[in-house]
Amino acid sequence: MVAARILCIGNRFVGGDDFGPRVYDTLAGMERPADVEIVDGGLAGLNLLRFLEDGRPVVFVDAVSGFASIGEITVIDGDTVARQTNGSFGHEAGLPFLLSVLPAVVDNPPPRIRLVGCEGGASDGAVLDAARLSLQLALEAG
Amino acid sequence: MSSTRKITDIPLNRVEGDLEVRVEHGDGVITDAWSAGILYRGFENLMIGRGPLDGLVMTPRICGICSTTHLMAAVRALDAIAGVTPPDNAIRLRNIALMAEHVQSDVRQSVMMFMADFANPAHSRHSLFEQAQQRYTTMGGSSFIDVIRETKKMLEVVAMIGGQWPHSSYMVPGGIAFEPSQAHLLQCLQIVRGYRQWYERRVLGCSIERWLAVDSRAALDAWLEENGAQRESEVGFLLRFGREFGLDSIGRGNEAFLSCGSLDLPADTAVSGSTRQLVAAGVVRHAAAEAFDHEKIAEDVSHAYYKKALGVLHPSAGETQPHVTEREGGAYSWIKAPRYDGSSVETGPLAEAVIERRPLFLDFLAGPGASSLTRQLARLTRPATLLTAMETWLGECIATHGAAIITGDGRVPDGRGVGLTQAARGALGHWVNIENGKIARYQIITPTAWNGSPRDEKGVRGAWEEALVGTPIADPDNPVEAGYVVRSFDPCLVCAVHTVKRTS
Repeated sequence: MVAARILCIGNRFVGGDDFGPRVYDTLAGMERPADVEIVDGGLAGLNLLRFLEDGRPVVFVDAVSGFASIGEITVIDGDTVARQTNGSFGHEAGLPFLLSVLPAVVDNPPPRIRLVGCEGGASDGAVLDAARLSLQLALEAG
Repeated sequence: MSSTRKITDIPLNRVEGDLEVRVEHGDGVITDAWSAGILYRGFENLMIGRGPLDGLVMTPRICGICSTTHLMAAVRALDAIAGVTPPDNAIRLRNIALMAEHVQSDVRQSVMMFMADFANPAHSRHSLFEQAQQRYTTMGGSSFIDVIRETKKMLEVVAMIGGQWPHSSYMVPGGIAFEPSQAHLLQCLQIVRGYRQWYERRVLGCSIERWLAVDSRAALDAWLEENGAQRESEVGFLLRFGREFGLDSIGRGNEAFLSCGSLDLPADTAVSGSTRQLVAAGVVRHAAAEAFDHEKIAEDVSHAYYKKALGVLHPSAGETQPHVTEREGGAYSWIKAPRYDGSSVETGPLAEAVIERRPLFLDFLAGPGASSLTRQLARLTRPATLLTAMETWLGECIATHGAAIITGDGRVPDGRGVGLTQAARGALGHWVNIENGKIARYQIITPTAWNGSPRDEKGVRGAWEEALVGTPIADPDNPVEAGYVVRSFDPCLVCAVHTVKRTS
């Protein structure tokens, strides 16, 4: 039974956008509770809806821009992320679009969502810190 | 009388942040166009030196929307090198997942990207503007929301066949890695049937069989007037809104079409096609049909930021060597210019329809010619040509459950191979060379490279560059007409990076 999810998103082939996948790789090698599901969400965008349907709390992990100092790990609530959408849909539609449209397209109440973000390039130490932080947030929420 | 020529950047960034389209216009008409991909990607170079199977894991990550299509192209290249033909059920299950991606993408792109612009204030005087706002306004339009709610279900088909989502890499040389359970296949069938019912009710307003009987422009007019369900359907609204605005008179393009063919037919199946594939391969240039031969494809980099010393190359010998210098002022795009036998061609659902000789679309070409409306109509109605085959193939998989799913031992010897398939946006090719057990060369030509290419060495424009020329622009500050022309090709460039940026 899944109690909470950590959805790591981004492109592992693009420097700077690979923060989420690097955190995923770190989490995959860590000991963690069986009821915390980790997902390498890649570039799935709107198709990540399938992980948001059952109301379980979700911690996203992604690269961010404009929220913190370079290299800093920050935690952003889902509503704030949703407000960053430009109000349109396209191939580039990412997390802000997904979270802004979420209440209208799922049958259950949307889950509690937080984002663990890293501004700019992340050091290996920052990736490890983010992995631990996302796991802690997932455990608290679950 | 003299006219003033101005250069304007078309604000396509709503859809494609890494695509820049610049047009020259005078007297309210576009007179020239340049399309530029502004991001160097170079995924091909990441592949060199890796193991032969790595393409199955890496290339689906190129695109967040077309991951199954890249997986299909990658595995078909390895099938070719290994000299294996997958068993029937492997062919079926590969196809079904790919078709699921298509029928989802076709409706999402049509309603959420193309028709979303019907709610643009530029249409405030359109007689259907108020309805368009109610239906297509982003985040709140009834059609916009309904399309998300219904199309999300189709993804479960890919997840069950692929064993996971995202990053399903279940296609392997010679077949697939595992067979879904019968229970999962039955669930897939239920999802496809449910999607078909919704598609018929909301998108077509009629049965698929009724739609496929529309075989001419006159028959289309009659269909539109036949009943309220059809008039109010998404297809009906596209036609009514588009005609009043004039979408049927813009975006003609060069009327050269290419499909590399897709969806191999199993040896024993109730599904039939005009060839051994459900989607036929072919080329049509100026109404003349010819067989498709991938050896006639070449990549021209005369106007792209790549080293030019090697000239125009077949992709099996292609190079991806970025090269930017002010002394070569002609380059303006990071997209190469694929050409077929020297021709600039378009690819996508309209090309498929023309090459399949579908009467409705041939009638358009014989009459007013191609247009943005025709191109979008082909996309929005393509699921009508796929959903029945999906149901049939799922039924055949259930009936023959336990049959072979792989041929050979999965190993890939040294050699060269090409994997061709049709992505949602058109022809996709992976050209792979394996030497000494490693990938020595990997070249990819995407649909957007065909449709959004820059000029070639002869100065011939790419497909949507050509389609833009002659397009009237009522308001250069809000050139929705140009947006429709480009979006009717469904450009896809920017799904590579999704960083969350602060905007507020």
